[in-house]
Amino acid sequence: MRNALRLVWFDLKPELKPPVWIIMEWVVFLVQVGVYGAMLSQLVTGVENYNRFFAVGLIIMITFDMASHTGRHFVEHAHEGRLPYLLSLPISRAKLFMAICLQGGTELALMLAVPLSVTFLIIGNLTWMSIIACVLVLFWLGFGVAGLMLGLSFIAFKSSDLYTAIVTGLSTVIIRFSTVLYPFMFLPAQYAIPAAFSPLTYGSDLVRFILGFDPTLLLNPYYAISILTALSVSTLGLGVILIQRLVEGVKSA
Amino acid sequence: MYAIETKDLTKRYGKTDALKNLDFTIDENEIMVLLGPNGSGKTTLLLILATVLKPTSGQAKVMGLDVSTQSTRVREILGVAFQEARGFWRHKPADILKFHANVCGVPKSRRDSLIDQIFKDLELWEARNKLFMHLSGGQAKRLEISKIFVQRPKFAILDEPTSQVDLRGKRQIWAQILKLREEGSTILIATNEVREAEYLADRVTILDKGQMVVCDTVRELKDSITGGDIVELEVEAADPRSLQQELSQLEGTVKIASPNSNMFKAYVSMAESWVPRMTDICYRKKARILSIRVTEPSLDDVFLHFTGRALGETPNA
Repeated sequence: MRNALRLVWFDLKPELKPPVWIIMEWVVFLVQVGVYGAMLSQLVTGVENYNRFFAVGLIIMITFDMASHTGRHFVEHAHEGRLPYLLSLPISRAKLFMAICLQGGTELALMLAVPLSVTFLIIGNLTWMSIIACVLVLFWLGFGVAGLMLGLSFIAFKSSDLYTAIVTGLSTVIIRFSTVLYPFMFLPAQYAIPAAFSPLTYGSDLVRFILGFDPTLLLNPYYAISILTALSVSTLGLGVILIQRLVEGVKSA
Repeated sequence: MYAIETKDLTKRYGKTDALKNLDFTIDENEIMVLLGPNGSGKTTLLLILATVLKPTSGQAKVMGLDVSTQSTRVREILGVAFQEARGFWRHKPADILKFHANVCGVPKSRRDSLIDQIFKDLELWEARNKLFMHLSGGQAKRLEISKIFVQRPKFAILDEPTSQVDLRGKRQIWAQILKLREEGSTILIATNEVREAEYLADRVTILDKGQMVVCDTVRELKDSITGGDIVELEVEAADPRSLQQELSQLEGTVKIASPNSNMFKAYVSMAESWVPRMTDICYRKKARILSIRVTEPSLDDVFLHFTGRALGETPNA
């Protein structure tokens, strides 16, 4: 496991020198909540204090983006010729997969540090337990989506363009047809059906439930926990199997 | 036990056989050079042995370990220098080598001094703290192969180790490869540079269209070409025609031409035994030898002899 952790740190170090993209993400979040969210709050009347609802939605979107980034990272490794090197290191395939996920998780933690703190501050009156539970749910969701994207990356291995097209299309559908930005009960039937299949629906409603949002606006939390667990276990399991059985360095490298 | 052994090894990409039923062995502490044109299956074989690619069928073993079923253990004893170093854009050479040394279990006590020494030996010292993306092609290549010299694995795989490197750099790398072998490593090199193969190889395997054409020492391969040695002879003889006739009947002579009365160009097998016999004849015939020049066939000629094509030619699919 030590080698897997070394790999995580080796990959992460250049990203932090300097951490421009992380800081940019924080700034974008603050502007979104401070300006756009505050204005939307005035327009939306069906949800009390919509800005809080919106802030949680943004955090879910960051989680999704980071998880997609992890999958993209893997495809890029393959196409930049780095994957053969990683595959030749004395690290088992399962641990290599875990290292990639762990790196994604660490980047997610860095990315969410400020947005989460601000959201907790806006919501106020939180216990340590609810904060920890919220962070765990976000990571669970992140691992599930990362597993899904890594699974897709194996399928789209022959072309990073194909992977980009699939993920862009998927993110358009998964984010818009979900409860990230609006409660499930307000969705028209034709939107509610696809939203029920989006993992972000369950992630965002579960986080909101933990943070004390009105439960009548949210889906059943036990149902959400079951769906997220099933997603994470199945996609991570699939990823481990795929990396052990299928992944080979791109030959041209 | 062989250090490396493949049996019926086949790798197929779609309908193309990159390797076809390859049976191949390398002895321990041997430098084996794979020679072949682009697309002959050299890199595919290396990547299978490095456990990066999976064979379609057949078996490959590294130090007795199966590359398919014991891949993690295989990776613990091998080191690979790939054809191109890519994908480390935002890392510095010093960090890349340090990471590689740590992951490959180089003891911390000698890691830093070893890395510094390799940087100096391969003239990368000045570049050690530049970003990888700012290195020249030759520097990136030298960095790639430095990983092997820092790791010092039991089995080293080098894919075109000196491509893009200048002649001085090539000599430095060759010296390091020979030093690695002296320390007990088994080394497999893929190249299409004839000079590199001749300089380093204990044995050469010629691959063509995914199949092994021939495998032997450089000397044996060269000697296997009938009439491959060329002897250019300048003499002062009273009767050049009778001398030519007698030389053409000498054992080992394939063809003899005489561009002018005192010059002979003989195509012979085993020039080292042909020349003394030739000098005896000249002595008997009272012909005065002014000069002798012996040219042996290159591995290019060997490749041409066995495949019917020059090394640089692309095989027809």
